[in-house]
Amino acid sequence: MSAPTSTLVADAEIQPSRSERRGSGTWRYVGSKVLGSLGALLFVVVFNFFLFRVIPGDPVRTLARNRLVSDKQVEELTRTLGLEQPLPQQFLTYLKNTFTGEFGLSFRYRQPVGDIIIDRLWPTLLLVGTSTILAALIGVYLGMVSAWNRGKVVDNVSTGFSLTLYSMPEWWLGLVLLAVFAVGAGPIPSLFPTGGLHSTDIQDPNSFAAGLDTAWHLALPVITLTLAYLAEYSLIMRSSLLDEMGEDYITTARAKGLRDVYVRRRHATRNALLPTTTLVVLNLGFVVSGAITIETVFSIPGLGLLTTEAMDVPDYPVLQGAFLIFSAAVIFANLIANLAYSWLDPRVRT
Amino acid sequence: MNLPVKVVIQVESDRMKKAVAGVAAGVVGLAISAVGTAAPHAASAAEPVTFTVGIQNEVDSFNPFLGIEAESYEMWALMYDPLIKYSPEDMSPQPGLASDWKTSSDGLTWTFTIRDDVKWSDGKPLTSEDVAYTLNRILDGGPESATWGSYLKSINTITAPNPTTVVMKLSEPNAVLPLLPMPILPKHIWSDISEEEVKSYANEDNVVGSGPFRLVDGTAGGSIYRFEANKDYWDGAPNIDQVVFSLYKAEDPMVQALQIGDIDFAEGVSPLQLDAIEGTEGIKTVLGTSPGFDEIAFNTGSIDLDSGDLIGDPNPAVMDPEFRYALGFAIDRETIADKIYQGAGEPADTIIPPAYSTYHWSPPDDIAFSYDPERAGELLDAAGYTMGDDGSRTMPDGSPIGTLRLLARTDSQYDASLKTMTYFKEWLADIGIDSEVTAMESGKLTNVILDGEFDAFQWGWYVEPDPDSMLSYMTCGQLGSWSDSWYCNDEYDQLYNQQHSELDEATRAETVKRMQEILFRDSPYLVTIDNKYGEAYRCDRFEGFVPQPGSDGVLLFQYGVNSYLNIYPTTECGQSSDDAQSAGAATATTDDGISTATIIGVGVAVLAVVGGAGAVIAYRKSTADKRA
Repeated sequence: MSAPTSTLVADAEIQPSRSERRGSGTWRYVGSKVLGSLGALLFVVVFNFFLFRVIPGDPVRTLARNRLVSDKQVEELTRTLGLEQPLPQQFLTYLKNTFTGEFGLSFRYRQPVGDIIIDRLWPTLLLVGTSTILAALIGVYLGMVSAWNRGKVVDNVSTGFSLTLYSMPEWWLGLVLLAVFAVGAGPIPSLFPTGGLHSTDIQDPNSFAAGLDTAWHLALPVITLTLAYLAEYSLIMRSSLLDEMGEDYITTARAKGLRDVYVRRRHATRNALLPTTTLVVLNLGFVVSGAITIETVFSIPGLGLLTTEAMDVPDYPVLQGAFLIFSAAVIFANLIANLAYSWLDPRVRT
Repeated sequence: MNLPVKVVIQVESDRMKKAVAGVAAGVVGLAISAVGTAAPHAASAAEPVTFTVGIQNEVDSFNPFLGIEAESYEMWALMYDPLIKYSPEDMSPQPGLASDWKTSSDGLTWTFTIRDDVKWSDGKPLTSEDVAYTLNRILDGGPESATWGSYLKSINTITAPNPTTVVMKLSEPNAVLPLLPMPILPKHIWSDISEEEVKSYANEDNVVGSGPFRLVDGTAGGSIYRFEANKDYWDGAPNIDQVVFSLYKAEDPMVQALQIGDIDFAEGVSPLQLDAIEGTEGIKTVLGTSPGFDEIAFNTGSIDLDSGDLIGDPNPAVMDPEFRYALGFAIDRETIADKIYQGAGEPADTIIPPAYSTYHWSPPDDIAFSYDPERAGELLDAAGYTMGDDGSRTMPDGSPIGTLRLLARTDSQYDASLKTMTYFKEWLADIGIDSEVTAMESGKLTNVILDGEFDAFQWGWYVEPDPDSMLSYMTCGQLGSWSDSWYCNDEYDQLYNQQHSELDEATRAETVKRMQEILFRDSPYLVTIDNKYGEAYRCDRFEGFVPQPGSDGVLLFQYGVNSYLNIYPTTECGQSSDDAQSAGAATATTDDGISTATIIGVGVAVLAVVGGAGAVIAYRKSTADKRA
């Protein structure tokens, strides 16, 4: 999944356009990026089909395991799942379905894959999306504070804190927070639920109370993920800000007699934000693929869990649908990152 | 209890700088919403009595023609009735929708009498028409037969001559009858669902059923399934108003939820966790017998089904029944049960578990396995596998045995598999046999077994109340299909057919026992343990569970819904139903001091802080060095 990411990002650095007129250059740049993304997506569509048929496991056998099943029943199951057709035929059906927006029926749940994925998408978006944004905001702020106070107590505490959290396995951090804040420890009462998205006694899932209830359920997992993601942003922000602060133009700005705060905010921070922005946008592309371990620990029915469990069958239609969405999100995020970068940093375009 | 929380968080937020204030406000908002909803279990007498069960796997379909997960079977059992019920003692047939049944003397006609007082949840009466319709739908083939078809083997026609009678005509006697587990569905609903539609019919909204509970909320793959009691249930109304299943994808949080009282019952708890919560006030733990076993299986001779030629190069030694039987004495089943399964298994010897007492065969003492490497050695010597000069045993012709290929499964839920085979390798080494263990994912192992490229592997089976299916997996007809040991024995097959059409239970049991004896002597499987299943529940909230099979059985996820029908709310562990009623059955939770989990939690938090501080110090030191 991460393979296409790196190559596409690398593209942003090279490919200088040698066009004479600036405007057409920009459009050519945008056009080539969009076309490249579409090509990558097309490749994923084809690749997906074969990838999951290569992994070990026979869905019919899994779905018929540990039961009294005759050969005739196995045949019947094979036919129900549409696996009796020759592979090229299955591939054509898959292509036709995919391009008409149909992903087929899940082998395990026998429901349309699109519906299942959408049901699982929003918990993942809420969980990982919120965490990514929170981590980015807090992380960037911590990184700035650290860089401005390099070597001071604030810097050491913030860096040590985020590195410690970064080196903890997410699921473990989750279990610890769960044990302390959901079960309660010593003077700390039980503050948060032990898992899930709703309380069992919520009747109307669309009511305001249900929304609050979900927020309450998501608090611990979001805190866990935010803490785990924090270091990524704070450390990058810190180091790029430090880099910028050593540049000549900062010395120049200082020499002009500008106030320190102004130099930091208008000159250094703006430039230092470039790598962080890329990171945030790219990570947003990975939001949909979920956080499998945290979804497991906190029993959140997200896309990550859906995909790992589909792997056990293997549930081809769900896997194809989910990976198409994961890939599309990453490719789209890359495209946005490329375009944003060229807009933020004109050097990339010319 | 809730007040200090707000204060703590506000003090925190006061300390934060402006830029973070917005974020902090969000967190405080969450916390306050938590405070608002944090009292879910202060039940008043007027509130419905809800029994909440923590489960670890999703329901895959509420449509009985589609799902395969144990959770789905449990939900169908709440929503519908099967034709007959299974006794709590040994799962023998008991009157259910069918109050009575008769067999003709030739065993080819079965007549069931259907109760006339059962109503569907929409008020329509349940008649023999519904029974015949449901079974015929399976009999007709199509997707419905994929799940249930084999239960109706050798049944030709199923008719409903009058509203209280169902008649089945068979081509040959079928001893599995009358144990038909499939839920009986309402004809007036399902006749509108075509064979094509049934493939994706969810059966989640306004479900019409006859069972003791009704689905009010829940979708396949969801996290919460809510059921309401059917107060008009024909076999007596349940003592509770609601059953809710709450999904936990990890065991620790589920057990913690039980400790703080978020759930009343935890399904599928590992022995380690059971030990940890054993003795907690208000919680009872159960390691119940579950009818299933684990085994070490051998490649008794994998062949190409068309040509009959050997495939996959099985070691000639494991193809010899005497060699396999001898290895039965090299396995320390006590160690496997204690060390590997941590008590969630009991040393076992045959493929029909002791829970099915009618059909279980116990080997007599003189041939029964015990951990006795010396005897294993003597048996191997006698069979010609003598010890060579290099300390390794040889084949009877003097050639080396070589290295046996032992395979294990790596799937996380089967971690006993690899451990069993690792022990087995060492036990084999003790008696002079070389082997190597390879672990792989179970999907891949299935393919390797079908290709015959193994000498032994570890797996297990769940055994149905009727022994027929388990026995069938060892017949020649299952080669290349469900047979995984490639075992084929004509005498065994003959006995299999004999028991399948034998209607006299005692005679059939004799045959079934004889079959187990043959398997024991030939040892295609060396059965290691019978499974036990961990459960825990709040005995200060509910009592009255009905274990199955026998008094050592599991409490939920049985054949039938006896526990759901019999549990009653209580306030004290072990309280009888009458006492619980007189006590008013008000439920309220109390925090029981500091649990093991919280101690671990605090310890870990302290470690984290110390670690963080350590990192800061180390960092300071390194930067100090740089500066210096």
